[in-house]
Amino acid sequence: MASEYWLQFLTGTLNTIVMAVVGTLAGLLIGLLIAIVRTLPVRPQDSRFKKALMKAVHFLLGAYIEIIRGTPMMVQALIVHYSLFIKLGLPNLLSALIIISVNTGAYMAEIVRGGIISVGRGQAEGAASIGMTHMQTMNLVVLPQALRNVMPSVCNEFVVNIKDSSVLSVISITELMFVSKQAGGAYAKFVPAYVICAIIYFVLTFTVSRLMRFIEKKMDGGGEVICGSQSDPAAEIRVREEDAPDV
Amino acid sequence: MKRTLSIILAVITVLSTLIAFASCSKVSASADLDNVKERGKIVVGMECAYAPYNWTQPDSNEYTVKLPSGAYADGYDVQIAKKIATYLGVELEIQAIEWDGLLPALESGGIDMIIAGMSPTEERKLSIDFSDTYFDSNLVMVVRKDGAYASASTLGDFAGARITAQQNTFHYTVIEQISGVAKQTALQDFAALMQALSSGAIDGYVCEKPGAVSAVASNPDFAFVEFEDGKGFACDPAESSISVGVRKGSSLTAEINKVLAGISKTDREALMDAAIARQPAED
Repeated sequence: MASEYWLQFLTGTLNTIVMAVVGTLAGLLIGLLIAIVRTLPVRPQDSRFKKALMKAVHFLLGAYIEIIRGTPMMVQALIVHYSLFIKLGLPNLLSALIIISVNTGAYMAEIVRGGIISVGRGQAEGAASIGMTHMQTMNLVVLPQALRNVMPSVCNEFVVNIKDSSVLSVISITELMFVSKQAGGAYAKFVPAYVICAIIYFVLTFTVSRLMRFIEKKMDGGGEVICGSQSDPAAEIRVREEDAPDV
Repeated sequence: MKRTLSIILAVITVLSTLIAFASCSKVSASADLDNVKERGKIVVGMECAYAPYNWTQPDSNEYTVKLPSGAYADGYDVQIAKKIATYLGVELEIQAIEWDGLLPALESGGIDMIIAGMSPTEERKLSIDFSDTYFDSNLVMVVRKDGAYASASTLGDFAGARITAQQNTFHYTVIEQISGVAKQTALQDFAALMQALSSGAIDGYVCEKPGAVSAVASNPDFAFVEFEDGKGFACDPAESSISVGVRKGSSLTAEINKVLAGISKTDREALMDAAIARQPAED
């Protein structure tokens, strides 16, 4: 069976990879934007217009995160694709990429918020004290540190996306899981097909987690792995690369 | 105060426009036939994962239809779709969609027909229309050859057996006709059913005869029990057959029925036997 269906398995795997990569990257971008908007300061001396606008924006973003996290992606795909995207004439794959990015964005918003919280308050205070605006503080001081902190969670989301993209077969994307079902269904013999499917998923997720670990090491720079807090020097534990725990 | 109010109103207007846009999902079905003829193409949805009705294969022959993913679809359902397309004088396009996505795809206009071994149950008739049946089959029970039920011949023989069937099908509802049966939870698809049977988690599953013939052909430790007339499941013949699904009030229904009327019962048996013979087999 493997010898006959190798091309289908390959195209299915490519579809899965494309959806997972685009979904995670776009989701991360959405999450960063949401986090920046949510941390915009609202001071007592601001105009009523700005206060009302910020309140509405906070409400909308909160609603977006709760609704998208609270409903299964399959349901979101069925509703949004068949009620909206099909009328707009979007190709199925583009529709799937939008759905998976919006879904991941909701999770990433919370992950990035956690990352920003983990950057000590002293950083933001220091930036303010030298006269940086909020956007400068965010872009130059807080987010670079927060991004390093969220890398393990982003890797997690990436791995989850690789496997969750399989529900998008309901909008006619022939990805790895659906291909395995088709290959097994042709022979009425599903176990070999699903074993191949499991092996390919494992190879994908293992490669991704190793790749993310490599990116983390590059972000840390200088061949050192940071195992402690970035904001409390007393808690810092810096280890040499060869002694780093291989997680 | 005025400004805040106007902002809130603006937001509400935008949201309601979006929701209104999203909720208009009804497509005018009476123009279906004209639309199809104008486009020169009819789009059919099926899973392509369920031999001998519809399956996917990597190579083409005179019976196959090319799928958007690059593979080829073949099976009894594909042959019926081809006949309908030829009769209407249009091209045939097949979309492989997972079972749960078939009805939404049809209702929203993504596909024009569902030919996926789907039975016209009362629940489905609430949302879509069905043509006349394009294949009648009797229900059989797939069991393990070395199991206690391999030599069963009537429904009563299955008292105490652990039986199940596919989720969301009428196969699952008829299990109750066996008195004393231990009805198990429905499983999602035939992969799960076959796995459960070969591992011993269940004693048998309900299936239509062509599916059972395929399963037994590829799994030497399976057998199927065919019931004699009157001794098997009592089911509404309309519900136990399979029909083509179309949108409510579609103008395609009449044309499809004309095509199906021209395919006699012997023709249908012959088509099904040919499909079973063509399905991929492990060497």
